[in-house]
Amino acid sequence: MENPAPLGYGLGLRPVYYDEILASRPPVDWFEIISENYMLAGGKPLAMLDRIRADYPIVMHGVSMSLASTDPLNFDYLRQLKALAERVQPAWISDHVAWTGVHGVTLHDLLPIPYTRESLAHIVERILRVQDFLKRRLVVENASTYVSFVDSEMSEHEFVREMAERADCLLLLDVNNVFVSSFNHGFDPIAFIDGVPAERVLQFHMAGHTNNETHRIDTHDQPVCEEVWALYEHARRRCGDVSAMIERDDNYPPLSELLDELQHMRDIDARIANERALSAA
Amino acid sequence: MKLADFQSLFQERVLAGSGEADKPLLKKLRSSPRGATPETLLDVYQTGYRIRLADFVSQDHPGLRAILGDEAFETLVDEYIDRRPSREPNARFFTTGLPDFMRENSPWRDDARAVSMALFERAMVDAFDAPDETSLAVQALADFAPEDWPRLAFNFDSSLTLLELAAGTVRAYDAAINEETPEKIDASAAAEQVEYAAVWRVEHESAYRRLEADEYVALNEARAGQAFGDICQMAAFQQAGEIAPERLAQCLSSWFQDGMIIGVRVRDDHSSNTPSSA
Repeated sequence: MENPAPLGYGLGLRPVYYDEILASRPPVDWFEIISENYMLAGGKPLAMLDRIRADYPIVMHGVSMSLASTDPLNFDYLRQLKALAERVQPAWISDHVAWTGVHGVTLHDLLPIPYTRESLAHIVERILRVQDFLKRRLVVENASTYVSFVDSEMSEHEFVREMAERADCLLLLDVNNVFVSSFNHGFDPIAFIDGVPAERVLQFHMAGHTNNETHRIDTHDQPVCEEVWALYEHARRRCGDVSAMIERDDNYPPLSELLDELQHMRDIDARIANERALSAA
Repeated sequence: MKLADFQSLFQERVLAGSGEADKPLLKKLRSSPRGATPETLLDVYQTGYRIRLADFVSQDHPGLRAILGDEAFETLVDEYIDRRPSREPNARFFTTGLPDFMRENSPWRDDARAVSMALFERAMVDAFDAPDETSLAVQALADFAPEDWPRLAFNFDSSLTLLELAAGTVRAYDAAINEETPEKIDASAAAEQVEYAAVWRVEHESAYRRLEADEYVALNEARAGQAFGDICQMAAFQQAGEIAPERLAQCLSSWFQDGMIIGVRVRDDHSSNTPSSA
């Protein structure tokens, strides 16, 4: 199955920027929505989305599919997601290597799992069922984690690689999450990026986080830090032409600051392209 | 440990905090290479859960915070989070159960003003993302012959909620969202008096206004499908001291202007029924 075409440089679509986006049509190639924020009967969020969709490609990114949960798959949720996808016609749909709750409870967080054979078989089976239901390949993202488990039988990147291959899904490589988790658990972030199957990476996430010295938290409330930019460059060199975007979910700056971060991304990519052109010449 | 058992333990730690019950979970954690304690790291998940939900309640209930004060509001939110774990994939709906929680539990069930404010603010939130409808202008009435007017019935925007509230709720909400000092009122006296309000959506924003008692009755009946002529004959209008058809026409005009009406139809005589009592 062919991967969707790269979209270029995108931003997370957040309500605080609706008016400016509609008024100025900023130089952003595409927007990513948080799917759940638009799984509504009507009103302003959907109206704004329809207007922005008229001018920009949209990607749907969910936080509640709970792919690793041992609760049954929530088909009410999946039906709503599918209905939204029919309206939005997204370039793709993504969610996370995570669970959000069990026993019917939702903790509204991307919770960690032990990387075991049992977890792997469980998430693969659920991704396959979701893909069958949605009639499309799912794009699955590595999450930031703050604890790791003695029961794990493999590294996170080994888990992600095998998951992607067995479920034949695509990957959203969150470069900031790789950095945050590598800091919290003491693994090599380069080894993670080198360990995931590059040909399945469809999208990059870039974001800021909070440094609490003994641990870092994926807060999306700050600019991307230098270490994550360096990791981005490595990921770009390895994965090639992959759609990339900035996520910002709190402490919102003027839109121009996010556009500057996108420009920084473009500059890095242009430098890599120049180097490659020179070495090929 | 099986994945299901691990997830039950982990969730319990997030919901209930640290304690004896999480000892089996602590044994499963690897040490932090940076020296963070297991408690600190698990607290990231616990505090994150509570902060996210508390933010949703705060965003949806500025008026309730103003009435209760910060400390009592935060106590309410803590209790609500403790006793009503979220079951909605979309956190926007977590706050939906708050007014019922307050009505069912002490001490909030005794605070009619606070319960009223919670109901009012829930209606505001629900109106915001209610299904989309297209409202009609009053000119739509021109399509109907004058002799049909007594049998006209109306369809209303699905965002419309009609509320009977403790007196002063709407004014207190105005003060809260405008960050004004609320009026000092005798809370127990106010709780015994009522006011009426309509909440709906205009364009993309929630809207509200207070209703006089007769308009509240008329709007309730009209929304229930009663015809214009039937509502005119209702006791509430007969007692209002005004000529009923003119007053009702005035109400009807404002419902159109407010964008509440999405359909007009002529009820056939067979479907007409006895007006309900006020």
